[in-house]
Amino acid sequence: MGIAISNLSVRYGAETVISGLSLDIPQGCFFTLLGPSGCGKTTLLRTIAGFAPASGGQIRFGGRDVTELPPHKRAIGMVFQDYALFPDKTVADNVAYGLRARGEKGGGVERKVKAALERVGLGHLLSRHPAALSGGQRQRVALARALVIKPTVLLMDEPLSNLDAKLRVQIRETIIELQREANITTVFVTHDQEEALSMSDLIGVMNKGKVEQLGTPQQIYATPRTGYVADFVGAANRTEVAVRPTAPGRVEVDVAGSRLLATDALEGPAEHGLLVLRPEDLKISSAPVAGLQSLPATIRGRQYLGARTSYSVECAGGLVLNAEMHGAGHDAFLPGAAVHLGFDPAAARVIRS
Amino acid sequence: MNPSALRSPWPWFSALALALLGVFVVYPLLYIFTASFFGDGGSGWVQLMHDGRSLAAIGNTLVLACVVTLCSTLIGVPLAYVSARFRFRGKLLITLLPLITLVIPEVVTAQTWLMILGNNGVITRFLKGHGIFLPSFYGWFGLITSMSFIYYTYVYIGTVAAIGKFDAQLEEAAQSLGTAPVRSRFHVMLPVIRPAILASALLVFTMVVGNFAISTILGHNVPLLSVAIYQAAVAEGASNLTMQSTLASTSVLIVMGLLFVNRRIIAGGRYEIVQGRGAKPQPLKGGQGVLVSAAAGVVVAISLLPLVTIAVGAFTVSRGPVMRWGEWTLDNVARVFITAPGPLVNSILYAGIATLISVAFSTLVSYLVVKKPNLVTPLIDYVSAIPLALSGTVLGVGLLASFNDGFLSLTGTSTIIVLAYVIRRMPFGMRNGQAILHNIPNSIEEASISLGSPPFRTFLRVVLPMMLPAVASAAILTWTTTVSELSASLLVYSGGRETLPIQIFRLIDSGLMAYASAYGLVLVAVILLPVVIATTVFKVDLFGSK
Ligand SMILES: Nc1ncnc2c1ncn2[C@@H]1O[C@H](COP(=O)(O)OP(=O)(O)O)[C@@H](O)[C@H]1O
Ligand SMILES: [Mg+2]
Repeated sequence: MGIAISNLSVRYGAETVISGLSLDIPQGCFFTLLGPSGCGKTTLLRTIAGFAPASGGQIRFGGRDVTELPPHKRAIGMVFQDYALFPDKTVADNVAYGLRARGEKGGGVERKVKAALERVGLGHLLSRHPAALSGGQRQRVALARALVIKPTVLLMDEPLSNLDAKLRVQIRETIIELQREANITTVFVTHDQEEALSMSDLIGVMNKGKVEQLGTPQQIYATPRTGYVADFVGAANRTEVAVRPTAPGRVEVDVAGSRLLATDALEGPAEHGLLVLRPEDLKISSAPVAGLQSLPATIRGRQYLGARTSYSVECAGGLVLNAEMHGAGHDAFLPGAAVHLGFDPAAARVIRS
Repeated sequence: MNPSALRSPWPWFSALALALLGVFVVYPLLYIFTASFFGDGGSGWVQLMHDGRSLAAIGNTLVLACVVTLCSTLIGVPLAYVSARFRFRGKLLITLLPLITLVIPEVVTAQTWLMILGNNGVITRFLKGHGIFLPSFYGWFGLITSMSFIYYTYVYIGTVAAIGKFDAQLEEAAQSLGTAPVRSRFHVMLPVIRPAILASALLVFTMVVGNFAISTILGHNVPLLSVAIYQAAVAEGASNLTMQSTLASTSVLIVMGLLFVNRRIIAGGRYEIVQGRGAKPQPLKGGQGVLVSAAAGVVVAISLLPLVTIAVGAFTVSRGPVMRWGEWTLDNVARVFITAPGPLVNSILYAGIATLISVAFSTLVSYLVVKKPNLVTPLIDYVSAIPLALSGTVLGVGLLASFNDGFLSLTGTSTIIVLAYVIRRMPFGMRNGQAILHNIPNSIEEASISLGSPPFRTFLRVVLPMMLPAVASAAILTWTTTVSELSASLLVYSGGRETLPIQIFRLIDSGLMAYASAYGLVLVAVILLPVVIATTVFKVDLFGSK
């Protein structure tokens, strides 16, 4: 079942946390809400679940209006950051809980529970209590518990953020596999861009209670529509520029005293815009490189990061840009060196400021 | 509130809880306050100003509270210090102190002192036989001695907890900066544990102000506030509603003032106790060790005296008020179980019902306050703490006056006794319940609801089982305190509804100490039995959750 949200508002007392939000999540989609802490991701998720009442607008699950439906009747599966396992119940009883709440009894419950736990690799821990499990195991139990009831939508609030880095990658894969298998519409909340980019079919980048951009991971990363999205997903150099249209899809901009070409992503006529340059799209060289536009610059700082080196580079007029070099000799430039900063017009996008 | 909120059961429970609290807590209190202003013969406060005996009662109570608080602190703090910091012989006995205060009802303690030092006391008679006449134990001397030896345990418990949390590193740090050990102790540790000492001292003060059993048994010619309230309420023929209300209001105002001060002390965030590893107790050897063991031993022995005395007294032959020590009998005990078992049955019945109601109510209501807050829950929280400011006597007077006739007539029923028990215990139950619930994350409940379990069933199936261990220990503490309750029930009980403490009180009043001892011994057993079963069989951690 898909989720359709239209013109949704959520208030806590006088504070409006979400206002006029509309969103369509197709059936079977892995949808990620990405945004910094406090932007309203949890609130939106809890409103979809029914725990936070909507003060306006509508939520539909597969065409059915659920806005006024209490959460226990929404047939959702939920996974929490702190796992939220019932500490006094065994792993098997935790997983069986939702089935029993639906009135299922006897051998059927047992079989389903066992299958669900085996699916997450915990078939041998049926009679353990949550306290005797590791963090990763707990989150797997929580997943099994949420999925065994065959919910119409799966809601997850930062389910990986209490796990260490290695486990996080493992469980990420488990989640994706299970989601694909069940073909269940999923809303996944995270503030971690890597998680969002690697897992999602669709990402909604949230800012102050609004979805600022909706798109596939590729669209979000490669063609951010606002400075906020550009900055939040991956690092980006951003600078305010004056804009002159040239060929269709191309604009001319003034950067650090040079006149350069960039891609037009302004979505309409404008005199000013925000030039966005990803650090990895900036190439440092000692002489200008043929086929790239280039800016004369001086190396100011350098951070060696093993596989790459991150430079801070100062252009004419004091503009400081961040550039990242990969491949052989990526750490070759030293502070103080006079260099050229080259980039392709396709990698330089001008968006509305 | 939006309409979907009203479909859940919680707002309705909140409304019900508030209504109950309004009727059974706020109304009696307001009744007393109003009656103190508008009674027969004008305002009670004007009458009070011309009533020398009542004024003396108030003054005496304050003086007594000051002295007992001071003595309790002087006994409790050093005892706490040596037991937290040192190891010595007999230390185990000291750690049993909390249990002792828990199991010995005040009325029994008062009785014990009388049996030893009263007019017919063992020591009094023994010395009289040798021509030595002791000063009467009735009055100031008896009041101060007996109360101090009960209430120091509260100071002890509070201080031990604070010292236990005090980080020894802080002390070591102070020493490394060049302060001598003793001075560093005073300069570093004292400020940190001072709030705990002050808070327990204030607690002692309020308990002395509210004390009825000892005050009335040992007070004699010293007028005291609770006794004056009691007497005004039960005076033959014409009980004086205005005066009893005025005196009760005075007691409430004193205690409220103290609670306010206490809150200020705790709220002063700068007194935050430093958490860390406690200092390892050091062994005390040689003369010091003997001295400390002996001093601690004396204190504990005096605390244990009531138990020993009633145990012996219960099996001793008596002729009226005169005990024939050394001659043994089973008659006294037989009386408790066979001839007059009423008080035993009543006590178990009333305290049992009150415990059930109290635990159910405080569990549900603290759940509302913590997990389902709405406009009225802060008010519920506030009102449920009011009984802290009501001594048993005041509560008894309030209930008696409010539910005598009118819209709800409870006088002469068992209900009013149970009600008194429940109300007295409520603030503690609420505090306990809230503490537990703060440790249960909201996500657990939401997980259950998301799995399709409706809110109330979630509470029963998920929250309640998680609360159960702590609820069990709360139930036991409730049982021990209600079963020994005297001051409120003494006012509201009617003939045939005597409880064990009431019966003991009446027997002491008639000087029948052997019978009183037998009832006392059974009372202690009734108190102790669930404690023993819970801690040994069910491994309930009684003191951890307090
Ligand atoms: N129960 C609540 N009462 C009042 N304000 C809340 C409540 N929950 C969240 N908020 C506010 O709503 C905003 C969004 O919070 P949240 O949805 O938790 O953000 P996120 O999950 O993106 O970190 C924050 O400003 C937060 O202070
Ligand atoms: Mg959040």
